[in-house]
Amino acid sequence: MPSHPFRRSLTRALAAATVVASLAGTLAACGGDSEAATTTDAAGTVTVGRVSNGAAKPVELKVPEVKALNAELPAAVRRSGTLKIVVGALPDGFPPLAYIGGDQKTLTGAEPDLGRLVAAVLGLKPELSNATWENMFVGIDSGKADVGFANITDTEERKRKYDFASYRKDNVGFEVLKKSTWNFDGDYENLAGKTVAVDNGTNQERILLEWQRKLKAQGKTLTVKHYAGKSATYLALTGGRIDAYFAANPGVAYHVTRTATSPAPTRSAGTYSGAGASLQGLIAATTKKNSGLAKPIADAVNHLIKSGQYAKWLAAYNLSDEAVATSRVNPPGLPLSDS
Amino acid sequence: MTATATAQAAPAALEVHDVHKWYGTHRVLDGIDLTVRPGEVTVVIGPSGSGKSTLLRVVNHLEKPDIGHVSVGGELIGVRRVGGRLKELGERAILAQRGRIGFVFQNFNLFPHLTVLDNVAAAPVATGRLGRPEARELARELLTRVGLGDRTGAYPRTLSGGQQQRVAIARALALRPGIILFDEPTSALDPELVGEVLSVIKDLATSGTTLLIVTHEIGFAREVADRIVFIDGGRIAEQGPPAEVLDHPRHERTRDFLARVL
Amino acid sequence: MSRPLGAAVSLAETPPAQSPPTPLTAQRVQPLRRPGRWIATAVVLVLVAQIAHSLATNPFYQWGRFRYWFLRPTVLDGLLVTLEVAALSAALGLLGGVLLALARQSGSPVLRAVGWTYTWLFRSVPLIVVLIFLYNFSALYKTVSLGIPFGPAFVTFDESRLATDMTVAVIGLSLNEAAYAAEVVRGGLLSVDQGQHEAAAALGLPKGYQFTRIVLPQALRSIVPNYVNQLIGLVKSTSLVFYVSLLDLFGSVQTMGSTYPGDIVPLLLVATVWYLILTSAVSVVQYYVERYFARGATRALPPTPLQKARAGLSGFRARLRKEAAV
Repeated sequence: MPSHPFRRSLTRALAAATVVASLAGTLAACGGDSEAATTTDAAGTVTVGRVSNGAAKPVELKVPEVKALNAELPAAVRRSGTLKIVVGALPDGFPPLAYIGGDQKTLTGAEPDLGRLVAAVLGLKPELSNATWENMFVGIDSGKADVGFANITDTEERKRKYDFASYRKDNVGFEVLKKSTWNFDGDYENLAGKTVAVDNGTNQERILLEWQRKLKAQGKTLTVKHYAGKSATYLALTGGRIDAYFAANPGVAYHVTRTATSPAPTRSAGTYSGAGASLQGLIAATTKKNSGLAKPIADAVNHLIKSGQYAKWLAAYNLSDEAVATSRVNPPGLPLSDS
Repeated sequence: MTATATAQAAPAALEVHDVHKWYGTHRVLDGIDLTVRPGEVTVVIGPSGSGKSTLLRVVNHLEKPDIGHVSVGGELIGVRRVGGRLKELGERAILAQRGRIGFVFQNFNLFPHLTVLDNVAAAPVATGRLGRPEARELARELLTRVGLGDRTGAYPRTLSGGQQQRVAIARALALRPGIILFDEPTSALDPELVGEVLSVIKDLATSGTTLLIVTHEIGFAREVADRIVFIDGGRIAEQGPPAEVLDHPRHERTRDFLARVL
Repeated sequence: MSRPLGAAVSLAETPPAQSPPTPLTAQRVQPLRRPGRWIATAVVLVLVAQIAHSLATNPFYQWGRFRYWFLRPTVLDGLLVTLEVAALSAALGLLGGVLLALARQSGSPVLRAVGWTYTWLFRSVPLIVVLIFLYNFSALYKTVSLGIPFGPAFVTFDESRLATDMTVAVIGLSLNEAAYAAEVVRGGLLSVDQGQHEAAAALGLPKGYQFTRIVLPQALRSIVPNYVNQLIGLVKSTSLVFYVSLLDLFGSVQTMGSTYPGDIVPLLLVATVWYLILTSAVSVVQYYVERYFARGATRALPPTPLQKARAGLSGFRARLRKEAAV
């Protein structure tokens, strides 16, 4: 959201007036913003992990354009000179993958950063927008955005409408309260009798529901809960209403570190492949089917892998465990039947 | 006050010509013919449901006659003549015509959110006839005339019924109308408040204003009326000076009605 | 005041007299003692104190973090979005509501049908769907043009440039709000006595004047409380504007909650307190607006809180003086 200086000062004056009137000065004045970080890079430079709020060790990478890859781009995109990247992180961000950074306004995280790197390789200016998860897909359909970088799992179902360029392993994990003694240990049978929350419309939801069916066949129960947002889910975890939260593993890791000093610290209780037992799940850049963008993006990721900058990107976010050897266009994903 | 040669030369203050009106299949007015001369006070009496109020409402076009027409001061109301046919007027033109006809309602219908002064001054200002200061001056004058010169700043609901009805009369007078129609002006009042309203109407009658009054106050009718019109079943059963109609009714229905109300 | 009160004491309430009863002197009536009420009051006070204490001391609420977040620019920007979107949609929604209400009272059956259908449609379709459709509208219609229907266009707008997130949010909420406002306004118009319409018509007042000066001011008396209710709902439904990628107060708080997961509770409290402040401000305005439109409707206007306090104080003093005198 662009923040006009006049509007900002108006906001402050207005809010201050209201506060003075209503709270009669019971609140202590708060200090100014200390994190005055610049938010844009010069062309050809990408700072990975800027304003990451502690999720990454910032590293500045020089990424020159690769003319041969630029030539692969569909004519319309090449002519426009910009890569419209959409991230589905509204209203809940999912750090460290995609979220509003520590300056409390910049869209940051591993996913948008990779988008910036890819754009730089392709010689395009990245133009990032944030949307709800649903609007992200509608935006790609309608041409509002060229590509989605948002921890989107490659599935056979999604492949009907989209072309994928894979770039990271998809692992999911369980988060529990630190005082809990439960562990997943790679065996879904350990979930018997537990209550687990999961996000709507995600592939970990499909995995969890599959386990629920299997347990039911054995006469055991697994209660699955859905909450309106991350806040509600974490409050349920803190309050003991659920035993565990089953979510993307990088998010679990981030949340564990961020709550270490809060009144209710948590820990990770085991991980699993995002594509089910038989297949390693993959996270992929998502483009409109037959838009011709998946191939140049995959090639750009492979270029980054070869140059070593891909590894630096993952390392910055502490995600090296999820590295892939190559980026592929439309690799096999979570099968249709495995649901 | 009887008709003179000069009055006959001027157009009639009100002319109702063969007016019929139905509500659905129910016939309310069944061929009314009535002429009121300038300065004349006409009182309409009759049993309830006989069409008296409807007649008044037809005169200022709050109701459209199904057949027949009405003219006030020689001007057709609500319609215009095109060749031999009558065509309905536009809303704006009808509103302008109503501004020349005073109407006093049974339930006063004052505007509760406006002060007494603004109630009276509203119409001359809204219709562009007077500027605001002139309208207020006129309103003050008229309110003094109905004995409420000291209540100009009050809101209607703080007044008694009799006072409200007197404001309503002042409001009708502010239009400087050629004729004022009264629809049972005292029916909604407590008995002890009737007198003050009737005395204001009496003053108007003696000052030469043309009045058409629907009322149940037979004694009052006898006192102010130049002519009594008895309506029954949507027709004029008989009409004439009070002494004739009230004391020597020719029609049996008139006799029955008077026997019941007197 | 005390004398007539004393005189009004009924004989039935005096104790049965054995001997010829002594004549009662003029005096204040002793009020009935209500011990139950006192006990209930004490219990409620203790409960309130307990809640206040736990709010202040329970670490769960993290009041330190609350202070940090309360005036953060990101929260204030969100607040401004909430205010902007709510104010614009409330005004446009009311305007649309008035037009729709008039359409529904129109003599034209087409206008009546359109008014009814609009209200029916937008009260049925979830606001979220309206927002999502509008947001992706540019994908369906690239340009919007002004000209003869089905004919040539005079002016053409590039839809994607015209429709900023703010515009889309305001249009979406206004469309939705107008449907509800229409019913509120229609109810208000129906509450105006038929005699008022007739009196205005009989006086020959121009049509526009009749509506704006006679009917609407009276209708507003019942429209205001209903519409304010609607408005407060609207302030909170602005939290849905994240569907058009706009972050209002609640949206910013939610987003910050995922970046700072340890601060979810204080962030929610920040939003709550801001909503409390907004609702209070609206309620105060409502009180005075209602009082304005009550002119003439009641015999006397209700006192303002200041007048009430003054009257209470002087009444209390008078009572003290009287009791001292008795």
